[in-house]
Amino acid sequence: MSAFSRRGRATCLAAAVAAVTLVAGCGNNGVSTGSSGGVVQLSMLTGFTGPDEASYQALVTEFNQSHPDIHVTMTAEPWATVAQKLPAAWATGGGPDLATPSSDPGSIFNYIKTNSALPLDSAVGTGSGQIDSSAFPSVVRSAFTVDGKLYAVPANMATLVLYYNKDMFAAAGIKTAPTTEAEFIADAKKLTVSSGGKVSQYGLSLADNNTIQMWPILQWMSGGDIVDSKGCATVNSAASISALTQWSQLVIQDHISPIGQAGADADTLFSSKKAAMEINGPWAASGYTSAGINLGMVKVPVGSAGPVTLASTVPLMVERNGPHTAQAEQFLAWYTGKTAQLKFSQISGFPPARTDLGSALSGNATVSLFASALSDAKLYLAGLPESTSIDSDVYVPMIQRIERGANVASATASAATQINKLTGCAS
Amino acid sequence: MTSLNPSSGAPRRRPRRRFNSAYLFVAPSVVLIAVFIAEPILQSAWMSLHDWTIGSADNPFTGLANYRSLWQDSRFWNALRVTAIYTAAVTVGQVGLGLAIASRLRRTTWYSSLLRTAYFFPFVASLVVVGIVWKFLLDPQVGLIDAWLGDLGVSNPPQWLQSTSLALPTVIVVGIWKNVGFTMIVLLAGMQQVPADLYEAAMLDGAGPWRRFTAVTLPALRPALLFTTLIATITGLQLFDLVFAMTGGGPVFSTESVVMYLYQKGFVEFQMGYASAIAWVLFIIILAVSAVQLRVARNRDGD
Repeated sequence: MSAFSRRGRATCLAAAVAAVTLVAGCGNNGVSTGSSGGVVQLSMLTGFTGPDEASYQALVTEFNQSHPDIHVTMTAEPWATVAQKLPAAWATGGGPDLATPSSDPGSIFNYIKTNSALPLDSAVGTGSGQIDSSAFPSVVRSAFTVDGKLYAVPANMATLVLYYNKDMFAAAGIKTAPTTEAEFIADAKKLTVSSGGKVSQYGLSLADNNTIQMWPILQWMSGGDIVDSKGCATVNSAASISALTQWSQLVIQDHISPIGQAGADADTLFSSKKAAMEINGPWAASGYTSAGINLGMVKVPVGSAGPVTLASTVPLMVERNGPHTAQAEQFLAWYTGKTAQLKFSQISGFPPARTDLGSALSGNATVSLFASALSDAKLYLAGLPESTSIDSDVYVPMIQRIERGANVASATASAATQINKLTGCAS
Repeated sequence: MTSLNPSSGAPRRRPRRRFNSAYLFVAPSVVLIAVFIAEPILQSAWMSLHDWTIGSADNPFTGLANYRSLWQDSRFWNALRVTAIYTAAVTVGQVGLGLAIASRLRRTTWYSSLLRTAYFFPFVASLVVVGIVWKFLLDPQVGLIDAWLGDLGVSNPPQWLQSTSLALPTVIVVGIWKNVGFTMIVLLAGMQQVPADLYEAAMLDGAGPWRRFTAVTLPALRPALLFTTLIATITGLQLFDLVFAMTGGGPVFSTESVVMYLYQKGFVEFQMGYASAIAWVLFIIILAVSAVQLRVARNRDGD
């Protein structure tokens, strides 16, 4: 073979490699969406990777069976992954048709700001096939309504209740679960066991980072708060300072809870029978039962400000520039309808995201407990576009400082200044 | 004699250029580098000059505003301080300890081979896995280390990762433990390149073990020491995985590194313009520190 032909073949080979390399960089982003055989394919990205994923999948399966012209494919990835992928995916129009952007309801503002989320107003109504937002809990409806437009529906709804270990209560001679803040504090102290300066059992398991928030409930019980409806800080109000002082002293001096726990650490402490009480949501119940805990659940004890607990909801949104927004809205209408929500409650143990199913839940004590707390529940930093920054940059570090002995008045004053700067509150 | 001056003859024919197929062979690499390295670097520089939010239709040009904000951002300065402390401590610890271990394990025996493997093993493991394992070991409630300290009679074992004063030193120790094996192996390889006759000559001159180490081993190891110091410094300045897995940057930002803060701004708050500015400041710092280290090493070589 001549040198020329060898060179020619090598040139062709190199050109082919270059072409293949270029073409390989031009694939799709792995999102399957479109129509096939008259069936509209919708993709839904969620962060439900926990034990509750099966409940969501069951709902999606039922929708697909009852809607032969639409097929929804739900995928679940860790929340951090969803948060990294979704903004760019929706901004470039290549993302999933439906998504739960974060477990933080405040995350919807990031997508509204970038015009990535579809306003759902045209699909809202009380008729068949419409999203009945009037049935949502009012805190959820207002949190997902921005400038008069509804941008998300609740993918789930949860409230926090007090979990307690009945065996530990019995061993401490406590006959009933606490119903008032005074009983709560007394029980937490009594259930804390230490010897030689080392705590072997904590009365309460509190988390301060990477967790569903527990500390705001302790503030709300006594009339404290973090931010008012105008976006101005109230974390330094007299009631807040009093509540934070009381509970931080219980942690620092009475050692009722370890400090610096992440949410997972707090759960581990309770499930390993090293803590007698924990404030948590419905997702935790099955795990604690499996861990062999003689589990009791009651509503969060009532403080001087009346009954209160924290509500949690995950927003479910539609991509604004997606090709099948009408079908996506149809899915949301079905998903938030009575039949689907009732079924979801029955299989997941979560309360329904509607307020008009009370009597239908009476057979399930656990669901009824969480649902009954809904009327007293508040969302954490609801409706604030800056909620993510306030949480990570201000509130969590403030609680961590207070737990480590910082002066409550000065820590809350500093936090209030930062919050007002973020929200633009002038007062 | 006829002149052979080429300029005086017929017009010179320009040599025909032939297409070199080598260009096609390097084309894939050039394309990949251009698309995945060069373009993102230039793009990040451009983004750092804008109020750039992921997905936003409007990303206004703001000039150096992001850099000016960075200058006044106390959280950035805290992250820079944390990163500097971590880098300095880990570099000194990793290179110093690696050198000491390499010196002790220089002779090849069955137990020194075993120990070399043991020291090198953590380097092979993923940094995130190492972080998670140490987080469990150091947990004050369910961790082995505090349990052992309790068994030894320590009534209040340290809250290694929950204390604002202990969290960073703890992460530093884990960082050194993780990478000391790599430094040891590089220095060990360098030591085994030192000619034995240099040591023999030094011994004949009456040099003791310490003198032989400082006069023979260390000068011979200079390239290896420079390499390991440079790698440890750059890796330290890029600190992310370990703190992400062990502390998440807490408590109260006491372990938040520059890259951790960059991640928070860019991928949690979607402020890509600000995050790009952080990345460029970090890039310049790494470039400057590396240049200083190389200059110092060259000056010493010149001595």
